[in-house]
Amino acid sequence: MDSDEELAERLRDGDEKALRVAYDRHGATVLYLAQRLLGNRADAEDVTQLTFVAAWTGRDGFDPQRGTMLGWLLGIAKRKAVDRLRSAERYKRVAETVSAQVPAEDETERPDRIVDRLVVADELSRLPADQRRTLELAFFDDLTHPQIAEVTGLPLGTVKSHIRRGMASLRRRWEVDGAAFGSRSTRASRAL
Amino acid sequence: MQHLDLDRLVLLALSEPQEPADADHLAECAGCRHDLESLRHVAELGAEGPDLGSLPAPPERIWQRIEAGIAPAETRVVRPRRSRWLLPALAAAVLAVAGTVVVLQRAPAETVTARATLTPLATVPADAGGTVRVLSDGEMLVDVRNLPLTTGFHEVWLIDPDHPTKMIAIGNLAARPDATLPVPPGVDMNRYRLVDISDEPHDGDAAHSGHSLLRGTLTS
Repeated sequence: MDSDEELAERLRDGDEKALRVAYDRHGATVLYLAQRLLGNRADAEDVTQLTFVAAWTGRDGFDPQRGTMLGWLLGIAKRKAVDRLRSAERYKRVAETVSAQVPAEDETERPDRIVDRLVVADELSRLPADQRRTLELAFFDDLTHPQIAEVTGLPLGTVKSHIRRGMASLRRRWEVDGAAFGSRSTRASRAL
Repeated sequence: MQHLDLDRLVLLALSEPQEPADADHLAECAGCRHDLESLRHVAELGAEGPDLGSLPAPPERIWQRIEAGIAPAETRVVRPRRSRWLLPALAAAVLAVAGTVVVLQRAPAETVTARATLTPLATVPADAGGTVRVLSDGEMLVDVRNLPLTTGFHEVWLIDPDHPTKMIAIGNLAARPDATLPVPPGVDMNRYRLVDISDEPHDGDAAHSGHSLLRGTLTS
């Protein structure tokens, strides 16, 4: 499997197959983000298309040292989706002319938060299987460390170190992609 | 000052209750507070999912549109489609020079965004049939064979299979076995995906005669 670095190099060389690899790898996540942001399938497919075309046009702008390919693509998709929402809003305002009620923004549905969630989910899926499994038990099943040890049959110390390392990877990824492509600024955090 | 160790911070972030000693330290140590906060945030994000492995693969039609979008402008203008024989010849030519002429590799610039195989309805001879291809520019290539003779004409329709009374007349096939018909802009091809070829009498009634000959569903 090509790393982001190799993919970036092939993209810069004008290799369309590399864009296809990126699409196969990340297209589903980009489409998911667009669908969540826009709420309708046709617009989501449009934005997914625009995202990959923009990624191709702007391929020299991707620097794998600064963040991951997925983080970069999601950043583009978010901007495209937000642009579309804004023009739809404008259209709605013009069309309605009457007071358009802007729905109160749900904190957990802010675009940045959805992007962050996808970036963390992607990192989770890349963790070594044992780390991923223990973290999933902690996140989704809300199990304590001793319960996880019991379910997995791993020693408690091993569970703790899996969770510590897994959490450290997730946090690093969230900080890196957020700083590189999102709106957050980099912040210092203690190395875990 | 003794900072909270990282195992402890991770535990607290995963909603383990704080001991008084934890709370005391956190109250006076901004660094540990910051670490706890960011770990807690990441744990929340992690718990919100989704499981990326379970997301369905995006449809191929999006990729076809991406491909069309990144093709150089000059190849998008070249649309050799009037002749049915030119395309295979061109494809063969492309194969012959693949890897040497970059522009030619992209020459079949009209991308097929959807296609359907038309099969005869029960009352129609079994050797009748056809194919339909919808191109990225909205044109529809219809190719039929062995249609029963008609005293009227053959009309092409796009029908919404979920609401079979909803349909759009696309055009007629004249006397030729193949036709290029424009799909009206803005038609939702996901909805109007059932292609129907009907036998229409010259009765001046623009509605579907109810006499369908061939049908097939468009897929991307």
